[in-house]
Amino acid sequence: MSEIITVGVAQIRYSSSPAVLRTILGSCVGICLYDRVKKIGGMAHILLPQNQKNNPNLEKYADTAVPLLVKTLLKEGSKKENLSAKIAGGASMFKFGSNISLGQIGDRNIEQTRLELQKLGIPLLVEDVGGNLGKVIDFYLEDGRMKVKSGGQEKMYYKV
Amino acid sequence: MDQNIKQRIETIISNIDQLPPLPEVASKVINMVSDPDVSFKLVAQEISKNQAMTANILKLCNSAFFSKGKEITSIDRAIVTLGLKEVKDIVLLVAAKPVLDKPVSGYDLAQGDLWKQGLAVATMSRDIAIAKKRKDCSDIVFTGGIIHNVGKVVIALFVQQAFRQILDLVQTGNIAFHVAEKEIMGYNHQEVGEKILVKWNFPPVLRSIVRFYQDPASAPPEHMFEVSIVHIANAICLMGGVGIGNDGLYHEIKDEAIKKTGLTQTELEEFYTRVPDILKQIRDLQ
Repeated sequence: MSEIITVGVAQIRYSSSPAVLRTILGSCVGICLYDRVKKIGGMAHILLPQNQKNNPNLEKYADTAVPLLVKTLLKEGSKKENLSAKIAGGASMFKFGSNISLGQIGDRNIEQTRLELQKLGIPLLVEDVGGNLGKVIDFYLEDGRMKVKSGGQEKMYYKV
Repeated sequence: MDQNIKQRIETIISNIDQLPPLPEVASKVINMVSDPDVSFKLVAQEISKNQAMTANILKLCNSAFFSKGKEITSIDRAIVTLGLKEVKDIVLLVAAKPVLDKPVSGYDLAQGDLWKQGLAVATMSRDIAIAKKRKDCSDIVFTGGIIHNVGKVVIALFVQQAFRQILDLVQTGNIAFHVAEKEIMGYNHQEVGEKILVKWNFPPVLRSIVRFYQDPASAPPEHMFEVSIVHIANAICLMGGVGIGNDGLYHEIKDEAIKKTGLTQTELEEFYTRVPDILKQIRDLQ
C-alpha cells in the first residue's frame, strides 16, 4: 500500500510517486495538480472562492491557493508545460432559501478555480463537480489518476 | 415502502433494550442542571460516584478546549472553575462518545466521522448562540449538536440495505434524504434518535433538536430557536465536508431557521469560513 496523505480543509499538500493524496469534499473544491514527467503532484482543498480580506491562510481560498499550489510544484523543479489539473467537489445544498447566498458557494468555488487555472495557463483536463453529493478523492501520484467516490460509487479519471 | 425493514426498525425502537445505553449519570446530571436551584454539591457527588468516568471528565476539563488555565483535579473544582453547564457538557461528551464514535457504514462514515461531525456541529452551535447573544442556551445547543445524529447509529444497518432505493427516490422525487428515508423505511434517523433520547430520559428541548433538526419549523415554538441553530450548524459543517456521508448535501437550509436565529448572510459565510478553525479546536476532544 502506498502512503496516504490526508489533505484537510483549507490545506495544500504535495508529494511524489507512489504517494496518494486524499481529501473529503462538500461544497469545497479539490484541485489536483500533476507533473507527468517528474511524477510529483499537489492537492489544494479550498473552502471559499476569494480571499477578500487578505487572510493570511492562503490555502483557504481559490484565488490564493491555486497560484500557491502551482508555485509549490515549480519550486520542486516542475516545468509549467508538464503540469495539468483535475478538479472535483463544489457540491451545493440540495435546497436552500432563495436569498441564502451561502447556498451558491459550491458553484462560486468551481468558477473561481477554473478562472485561476486559466489565468496561470494550466490545462484543466477533468472536472467532476457540482451536484449534491459529497466526494472522497484519491489522487495517485504514480500516474496522476484521480479516483472520485461519491454516493457509494467510484469513478476513475486517468487523463494527465 | 419496504415493509420488512419497517417492521425490523419497529421491533428495535419498541424494545428499549435494543437501543444504545448511556451511563445513568449523564441523564441525571443533564436533568439536575436544567433545574436553576440545583445544588453544586449534589451534582459533584453524583458525578464522583462514577469513578471510571471521573478520570475522563477531569482529563477533558484540562483539555485546551475547556481549560481556563488552572489545573483541575476534582469535580468540585471543575464546577467552581468552569461552571455547572460546562461540566454537564463534559459529562455528556464522556458518556456519549462510546455510542457515537463508531463506524456508521450505512451512511458511509468511517469510525470517528460521526463523532467528529457532532463535535464540530456542537462547537459551531455554541458559537452561533453566543454570537446571537443567547449564551443562556449555548450549552443546550452544544449538547444537542453532539447527539443530533444519534439515530443514525441504529438505522444505519437498514440504510445500507436500502441505500440505492433511498438515493433513487431522492433524485427522482426531488426530496431531501431524510424524507426519502421515511418513505422507504417507514422511519428516518431523527425519529429513531428521539426514541433513543426518550430512553435516556433527556429533557424535551434536546428531544426536539434530535427530532426536528432537519425541519426546525415543525419543532415546538418554544424550542425553535435552539433547533434552528443546530439545523444551520449542521448544514454549514456538511458543506465544509465535515462528516459528510453518502447522503451528501441532500439536505436543506431553511429560511425559517435563518429568520429565527437572525443570522445575516455575512454571518452565515463567516461561520462557514470558520470550519477549519473549529476542526482544530475539537482535535483534543476526538
